[in-house]
Amino acid sequence: MEKKHSSHQFRSNTLPALVMVGPVALLLVLLVAVPLVYVAVMSFCTTDEYYNVVFKFSLANYGKLLSPDYIKIYGQSILIAFITTLLCILIAYPFSYIIARTKSKRKQLFYMLVIIPFWTNSLIRVYGWRTFLGTNGWLNNALQALHITTEPLDFLYNQGTTVLGMVYCLIPFMILPLYTAIEKLDGSLLEASSDLGAKPVKTFFEVILPLTASGIFSGSIMVFIPCLGYFFVSNILGGGNSDVIGNLIERQFKSGNNWPLGAALSIILILVTLLLVKIYKKLGGDMDSLGV
Amino acid sequence: MKKKIISLMMCAALAMTALTGCGGTEKKADNGEINIFVWTEYVPESVFDKFEEETGIKCNVSTYSSNEDMLAKVKSEAEGTYDIVLPSDYMVQSLIEQGMVEELDKEALTNLSNIGESYLNPSYDPGNVYSVPYQGGVAAIAVNTAKIDKEIKSYDDLFDPSLEGQLVVLDDYRAVIGMTARSLGYSMNETDPDKLAEIETKLLTLKNNVKLYDSDSPKSALISGDANVGMIWSAEIALSMEENPDIKVVYPEEGAYVFMDNWMILKGCKNYDAAMKFINFMLDTESAQLVSEEFPYLCPNTAAVEAMGSDYSENEAKNPPAEVISSGEYVENLDNETLEIYNEMWTKLKE
Repeated sequence: MEKKHSSHQFRSNTLPALVMVGPVALLLVLLVAVPLVYVAVMSFCTTDEYYNVVFKFSLANYGKLLSPDYIKIYGQSILIAFITTLLCILIAYPFSYIIARTKSKRKQLFYMLVIIPFWTNSLIRVYGWRTFLGTNGWLNNALQALHITTEPLDFLYNQGTTVLGMVYCLIPFMILPLYTAIEKLDGSLLEASSDLGAKPVKTFFEVILPLTASGIFSGSIMVFIPCLGYFFVSNILGGGNSDVIGNLIERQFKSGNNWPLGAALSIILILVTLLLVKIYKKLGGDMDSLGV
Repeated sequence: MKKKIISLMMCAALAMTALTGCGGTEKKADNGEINIFVWTEYVPESVFDKFEEETGIKCNVSTYSSNEDMLAKVKSEAEGTYDIVLPSDYMVQSLIEQGMVEELDKEALTNLSNIGESYLNPSYDPGNVYSVPYQGGVAAIAVNTAKIDKEIKSYDDLFDPSLEGQLVVLDDYRAVIGMTARSLGYSMNETDPDKLAEIETKLLTLKNNVKLYDSDSPKSALISGDANVGMIWSAEIALSMEENPDIKVVYPEEGAYVFMDNWMILKGCKNYDAAMKFINFMLDTESAQLVSEEFPYLCPNTAAVEAMGSDYSENEAKNPPAEVISSGEYVENLDNETLEIYNEMWTKLKE
């Protein structure tokens, strides 16, 4: 009797849940948990003379992470990510504000304009910038044709172009959460503020900004973190002169052939990410707007 | 109850859709198929088509962009995933030492006589037991003579302060460090810590001169004018010369970094005879010509070189002079500690 009851319970409660959640859970385990554990284990391994990963416990990889050369690159990486995030906020905020608050019928169109570039691979778009900014690129040709400059200017292959590429690739991740936050803004609060005598500037800093801060936070997280890893942008537009942490990882997995060290670097990147998300949560950030 | 049954059925249906695509049809390796794993932008489509037409053996081609990528991929896949690979000199040696390759059947290599004497019996595979050469090249110097007045004759000249921000160099640490070592008169495979320290000091002075690091298509920066001097593969220089006649090729006085890529058959190859047929086909004169037309690297096939005439043989970038090859140096496998020093100085250069 007891057994029959429990099997009935299994069928009516557990089985549907298992069937619904099971495949997703399986995918998550296979595609997220297992690789993460694999990377974590590998970061404690060493390599033999043929670069094979040998499962011999060692902390040497983590020791190497503290070398001054690497620390310089972490610093450079964080600086690039910080400037990129700041520029993204400055550009994306007014833009999102306008498309979120506009009464125009074109609102959807503006929104689509942000999303459409996503349909082209970012690698191709970044290569496009290289052609555009080159010595014989469109920009230089146009400047010379308009007699603004006489000699072609050197735009490419420095930290500036790396930042430009990063901003270009990542700005949608800033616009989308800002748009959501600004759209949620209650118009009556703005009216109240103005009724009570606040000037627009004051309204902005004391009403609008605090109410949309969550959007800025989540946008910043979504821009800052990928920025540390987007090695292809610094490769293509930085010409290899402005490495980010992602380049270090790529190098260890490819030419450097030291997968354990690459894994240790990846673990550091994952920890930084977790730390930032934790801070975000602590500051009252909404996990839903991060898409997690 | 009915509702529950329906919901259960829907769940089952969902679960089924989640699993579609998991099964699929297993590809059976029939007798007429070989899996070839080659460098990207190196073996033209036309040769594979020609081989398929002539023999009826189907070629499944995949590509890689570095020897290390290839090694990692081969190791992580099941034996028999790839039958034929195209590694460079030092990797040939490494694959042999690790017992990953099959001996080649000399009887089947009827076209081996097309290969020039000087390209046979290399130090990395004495007697060509496991490998035969495909194409090679030199990490040579390209100069846009319309933009650069300074006469450049050696790797050492690339360090001249007057070339600030002018250089495109290979994004390859062994090539750039090797070039620095050669410019000091040392070996590209230097292991002595004192000499390496000296190399590092010199290497870091290159930093100001480098505009960009690019291994994938360094000719683009030369053609577009973003860089006016390059330390890049000879064939890339040949292709850039076709676009801009002001670009000249210079072979460094100190002796250049040379490489040779070679055909090998991996252990576990499912169709050894077909693989041998393919390798022999690649040694054929006509195949080598087809290859050179599209990717003008150093062609070790002397019969093909004769057939191609002066367009190939008199073009110094396509066909580096024999003394450049004989005075050149191959990259060799180094021990892990030394490689780490190399990696460290590379990181310092690029930070």
